[in-house]
Amino acid sequence: MTIKLSNISYQVNDLVILNDVSLEIKNGEVLSLVGPNGAGKSTLLNIMTGDLEPTNGCVRYEKYNLKDLDIIDRSFYRGVMSQAQQIVFDFSVKEIIEMGWIEKGVSSYSNDFSKAVKEISSLCDLENLLERKFNRLSGGEQRRVHFARTLLQLWRPSNSKDPIFMLLDEPTANLDLYYEIKLMEIIKMKANEGVGVFLIMHDLNLAAKYSNRIALMSDGSLIQVDTPINILDPSLLKRIYNLDMSVDKATMKVSYF
Amino acid sequence: MASLLSFLVAASLGSFSVSIFDYLFQTSSILENKVLEQIRLPRVLLAGIVGASLGISGASLQGLFRNPLADPGLIGVSAGAALGASVVIVLGSSFIPDYIFGPFILPLSAIMGAALVIYLLYLFTKGFGYQGVTYMLLVGIAVNALASVGIGILTFISSDSELRGLTFWTMGSFGAANWTLVLPAIIVILITILLLIPYSRQLDLLQLGEPEAYRLGVDVKSLKFRVIISSAIVVGISVSLSGMIGFVGLVVPHLMRLLGGVNHNYLLPASALFGATIMIVADLLSRILIQPAELPVGLLTSAIGAPFFLWLIFRIRKT
Repeated sequence: MTIKLSNISYQVNDLVILNDVSLEIKNGEVLSLVGPNGAGKSTLLNIMTGDLEPTNGCVRYEKYNLKDLDIIDRSFYRGVMSQAQQIVFDFSVKEIIEMGWIEKGVSSYSNDFSKAVKEISSLCDLENLLERKFNRLSGGEQRRVHFARTLLQLWRPSNSKDPIFMLLDEPTANLDLYYEIKLMEIIKMKANEGVGVFLIMHDLNLAAKYSNRIALMSDGSLIQVDTPINILDPSLLKRIYNLDMSVDKATMKVSYF
Repeated sequence: MASLLSFLVAASLGSFSVSIFDYLFQTSSILENKVLEQIRLPRVLLAGIVGASLGISGASLQGLFRNPLADPGLIGVSAGAALGASVVIVLGSSFIPDYIFGPFILPLSAIMGAALVIYLLYLFTKGFGYQGVTYMLLVGIAVNALASVGIGILTFISSDSELRGLTFWTMGSFGAANWTLVLPAIIVILITILLLIPYSRQLDLLQLGEPEAYRLGVDVKSLKFRVIISSAIVVGISVSLSGMIGFVGLVVPHLMRLLGGVNHNYLLPASALFGATIMIVADLLSRILIQPAELPVGLLTSAIGAPFFLWLIFRIRKT
């Protein structure tokens, strides 16, 4: 079960943003996309979600062409967390999380709704914040709420065999060290349950520790997709990031200053 | 939340019964039951339905634009309707003989004005497309300005009596209510409101931002289309029958949010009910304050609405 991008190009007028990118995200794996600012990482994510139509190439979810899935079906197969926008009106944390309960989910498992909300709030340590106003929370707390919302969108009964995918744009941004690790652990746990996870990451150490594979991107092209140990190569990283790095292969840690 | 809603229903019925009580009181004193049925009842109903229209379209447009300052005037619907009405008031008597459309000519022309504005908006935003709501707001403001130019020219060329008619129309009144006009209006507006309410959850999701709403399964483009067209219909009809009534569309949703939260599932019906209530009361006041004359109801709502809005702003700043 996979999300498969084939020969994706994306162009705005004459500006080439993505150039012939092919990539596959399998169920049960964590794939991290890393690369410098402006490499085209978020554009690739937006094409994967269906927000943008590629100029060339095609996106397939399993056996379906993404173009042929309607908006509700898309929301059933993949949950997305990106850089959040400001929310104008004063919703409570609980209301924001519950927004993840998508139309298709509502009709299929409506009896499990409260159970799912409870389970996920406790998983993300949000039980004590549920009645608080979302806008009064700190940036990191807001991020955790959006993450919980994404988890709720992908909630399935334990016997479900649906192929589902989590596409996250810098999920650990604004989080403190404790929740950074906690969130990555939850992501890993979800992958072990069979979810296909695609992450855009900046922290190479976190990416190396929690990913099955890392995709390295620069100037709109995929440079290499490989296991962390092969991607963490000082000369390769030097070429992409223009920064001297040393890699300790035993602990898989990158130092760059 | 449910209890709050039922409280609002009760409040609405309460004010209804006040006006009906008033109606009965007048009946007993004048004993002209039939005449009053023809005048008072359609008038109260019209006030209610206009209030509901302004309330719910204010709430849904604020949700759609994710902007607490949005109101039905902002997308230019009211201005379009006003332009349509002004054309009839100023030019009507000289160019259109009375017997062609009879009482329908003013509302019809106003509705056409509102429709024209919505069509322009639709054209400029390529079908309320993906350029984002800020773009649509800007187009709305520009269209608004154009309509004001039209009204300005008409005002400039109008005679004294036409000018008086124009001025009173822009201050709003339910005085012209009669069953021939009110009944079709009520039916169309009620249906539109009932079709709009099921979309409240999508409006909630939209608060996360357009991309996020799409990713949660909301067809943002069709939601925009639905909300804007619905607002245009209810406000266009309302303005055409009652003139310009300020502040209700802006203030009522805010008050409802303070009372019961920001969930559109609650907010849309609550704003409709409370809008109706407040308008019936305002109309009642406009009738009894300076008897036997009548205050223009739009003047009254703005006179009460504006200070209330200021108080609201200060209150929000304090907390």
